[in-house]
Amino acid sequence: MSGDHSDAEISRRVRTLETLLEERGLVDGRVLDEALDAYLKRATPANGKKLVARAWLDEGFRTRLLADGNAAIAELGMSMGGGLQDQRLRVVANDEKTHNVIVCTLCSCYPIALLGPSPSWYKSEAYRSRVVRDPRGVLAEFGTDLDPGVEVTVWDSSAETRYLVVPRRPESTAGFSEEQLVDVVTRNGLIGTALV
Amino acid sequence: MARINDVGGMQGFAPIDTSDDGEPFHADWEARVFGLNSTLVRQGVYNLDEFRDAIEQLPPRLYLRSSYYERWYHAICALLLRKGVVSAGELDG
Amino acid sequence: MADRFAPGARVRTRAVDPAHHTRLPRYARGQCGVVVEREGRHPLPDARAQSLPDAPVETVYAVRFTAADLWGRGNHSVVLDLWESYLEEAT
Repeated sequence: MSGDHSDAEISRRVRTLETLLEERGLVDGRVLDEALDAYLKRATPANGKKLVARAWLDEGFRTRLLADGNAAIAELGMSMGGGLQDQRLRVVANDEKTHNVIVCTLCSCYPIALLGPSPSWYKSEAYRSRVVRDPRGVLAEFGTDLDPGVEVTVWDSSAETRYLVVPRRPESTAGFSEEQLVDVVTRNGLIGTALV
Repeated sequence: MARINDVGGMQGFAPIDTSDDGEPFHADWEARVFGLNSTLVRQGVYNLDEFRDAIEQLPPRLYLRSSYYERWYHAICALLLRKGVVSAGELDG
Repeated sequence: MADRFAPGARVRTRAVDPAHHTRLPRYARGQCGVVVEREGRHPLPDARAQSLPDAPVETVYAVRFTAADLWGRGNHSVVLDLWESYLEEAT
């Protein structure tokens, strides 16, 4: 957005559009409100954080999550449905030797069901253009420095699979409960631009 | 040539603004655009690939100067015009 | 219909420049990579974006490319999700 004036203008134009679609019987403003509220309640980063905390604590769950993401998240009552298409979930885990980072260079594909709508930087040309070419440089812009020996894989979400990163569990979290671990995980960690 | 959305590997964009307030939307109209698009796809007015195609076909100058949900707004309008759901005069009204 | 490629297969992306919507990014056209896994079968977006009836349904593959191949430098790799008709056997 660029300033109050253009914001007022686009706001007016969107209202005009919604009114036109209501007149044609394609949209019901109240139904849309309710659907949005319900969706945003369901699709939040809390889901992704919970999955990671569970994977850190439960080796069996971690194995199932990496083998078949859709089946494993159903164990915790989550699904990749609810959006416009049912999507395949592929979970990728960081370890001492590998670091994973997610992008969609063509548009903005993102695991919304598990992380909510994506942050602005994820949708920016700056991120989308550079992370496939120079992931270490991009991570450095986020203040994330990787050991030179770590191999980086960038997952460019160009089809119907959505990716989620399981960060490495920090050694300082030994003995933490699942609730405490949930608070350690960040959204950027689930995308791969942060270590945790 | 590739379309304006196809930026993987391109050089010259600004440093990444890594700031993030965690908010899903930054204005009511953004949420409305998100919701309108979902509704139109669910109603079968157009499909998700047609929607992506419409964003990609925005004039490059418009694409680059528009915010993320402004692009969505322009793409929705382009599809509704093409499908004959609305007329240009109505959208400008 | 049998999947054309198995995990581990070396494939080359087509060096195409379509006038329509496609999900094969410019930076990965005409490039060699290795199939990581199969992702199931999905309608071809190139056809769906053109509102064509009966879009072909194809297997989608995760394919790993090295940064050295894509950019001539770097030691990372990039994995893309690609529809079968974007790929051919690498010789």
